[in-house]
Formats: sequence, C-alpha cells, structure tokens
Amino acid sequence: MLVEIAERLETFVVERNLEARCEGLLALRPCVIKLLGQAALLEAKVSLTLALTNDVDVYADYEFAVEQEFRRLLATKGRELDSLGGEVWMPAETTYQSLFVGSYVTLLVADAESVLLSKGLKAARKNRQLLTEYLASGPSERFLRLARKYHLDLDQFL
Amino acid sequence: MSRKLSAAALVERAQARYEKIQRQRRDPRYRRVLARFVTAGLLITNEPTKPQRGPIRVTDALWAGEVEPRILELLPALLIKKPSFFEDASALPDDLAQVVWALRRAETPAEFRGIPGADLARWLPRLGRSGEAPSRLRCFRFSADESRLLSQLSRELDTTEVSVLRRALRELGAAVLKRGV
Repeated sequence: MLVEIAERLETFVVERNLEARCEGLLALRPCVIKLLGQAALLEAKVSLTLALTNDVDVYADYEFAVEQEFRRLLATKGRELDSLGGEVWMPAETTYQSLFVGSYVTLLVADAESVLLSKGLKAARKNRQLLTEYLASGPSERFLRLARKYHLDLDQFL
Repeated sequence: MSRKLSAAALVERAQARYEKIQRQRRDPRYRRVLARFVTAGLLITNEPTKPQRGPIRVTDALWAGEVEPRILELLPALLIKKPSFFEDASALPDDLAQVVWALRRAETPAEFRGIPGADLARWLPRLGRSGEAPSRLRCFRFSADESRLLSQLSRELDTTEVSVLRRALRELGAAVLKRGV
C-alpha cells in the first residue's frame, strides 16, 4: 500500500516540478522517506502477528509541500502520518531496504530486527506479545547482539 | 540477550509463553473485539478477521486489551467519542471510569493498565469528528461594560460570544507567549 502512495507522491513531485520550471520557480528537492515502526514490519511482510493503529512513523527529509501531499495520500487510505515520527528512536545499526525508488521520492523500510529492538526498548509493555512471538520463532544472532549492546532485558517478554 | 539464559533456553521459554498468547488469540472475545476494531478502521492487522459491525462489550474489550494493548489505548477515547461502539458504555470498572472522567475534563489521565496517560489522551482529537477534543466548562463574571463589549464583538464578527473569547485568548496567547497557540 505504501509503495502505491510513494508512486503517487513521485507523480505529484514530477508534476509540481514541471510547473515550477515553466514558471521559473524553485523545484522540489528529491527526498528519502524511511518507514519505521510496525508499519515497516507490515510492509516488509514479516511473519509475525501484527496489530497496529493507523499511525505511520517515518524519518524523512522532504519539503513541506511534499510532506503535506504525503499526509493527504496516507489519509485517503485511512492512515495518518505521525507528527512525532521523527522522534522515534532507532539503533545506529539500522539498515534500510528499498521499497520504491523514483527520481524524486525514495521509500525505504527499516530492517525488522532494529524495529523490534526499538519497540522492545521504548514501548515494551505495548509490544510484549510481538517480542515474545519473535523470540519464540528463533531470534537472529544480529538481534541478540543488538539486544546485548542496548541492554534490552529479554526476560520481560518471557 | 538475557545474561541468565542461553539462546536455546530463551527460545524454549518464549515458545511456552507464545502458546498461551496463541490460545488467547483464538478466544472468541479477542476475535470479536479485534474484528470490530479492524472493521471500524481503528486497527490494522495481518491476522484474518471477519467484518464485525455490531456493538461489543466493554468487558470483552478489556479482556482483549490484555492480549493486544493497542485496544486498551483506544478504548477510553472510543467510550467518549463513539459510545454506540459498546453495548454497555455506562458500566465501567473504576480505573477505566477515572480515565474517561479525566479525558472528559481535558486532563491527561493516569496510566491505565500499563498504557501511559499521554498515549490514551492523544486519541481523543483523532476519533469521531476529527480534531475535536472535549471542552471544559469554566465560569467567569463580567461587568456590564465587558458583557456589552462581548455582545457587540459577537455581532460585529458574526460569530458566537464563546468564539470571540477563544479568538481573543489565542491572539493574546500568541502575543504574550511568542508562539502559535
């Protein structure tokens, strides 16, 4: 679903920049949108049971006009851009995979292990079942390493 | 990773706990409540759900909230904004009633069954009629002159007296506090 929105956002920026060029105005800059939180897990199609609210958390470097359009496009799908998304803590080791790469809009998704670590550290109570399910499925070495590094107490999910 | 457990022991204990979670997720109360929240567009899930449109019981929502805490997060605001969502919105346990009471007074409630008060409060303006949070009754006395001025401004601006007061308050706030309010 978010890939479709990224495609529509790309079209929006292309059209706006064509207009801007004709009128001698400044063009919108290319931007990168990094998808975080459970929305990232959902888009990455991880094999965990997910239940999420309609919030979408992102790190993004877009201009105001692009953000507004992104917000509007999300709303058409019943989703809401979380205005505090930029404050989400993610480990420095987070890697991002491409979901969509356009000329002006790039949509990336955070790796599942980093998202789960962030959830476990910052909202353990709300994500207890999710973390338990992940641990039961056999956590990766990388996740266990990150948990050790960031002092995530895994006992609380058992 | 837990220092006390090896990876294998960790997985074993997690599996034992996960079995209990799976049993809870199969419970009809959880299925019904989750489906109702999904049908209403309040939650998104990758679990299969059947459309559920009728009202649900608050007790079932509280039970399901122990399995999926986001249900607890949404519950108090839903009770205020969409009471018809529930069969029994007026019969609430004490802790939930206190949270609802605080939210109605535009106050940040105390933590509710592990959900921070701020997380509960943020849903209020976002449910039902978007952007509207409950207003709070405040009483003030005005002199006859002030009262006349308020009425005059209300006529002049073609708006209600309370709108005049709100606008004046916002403008004063912006000027004195040097930020948008």
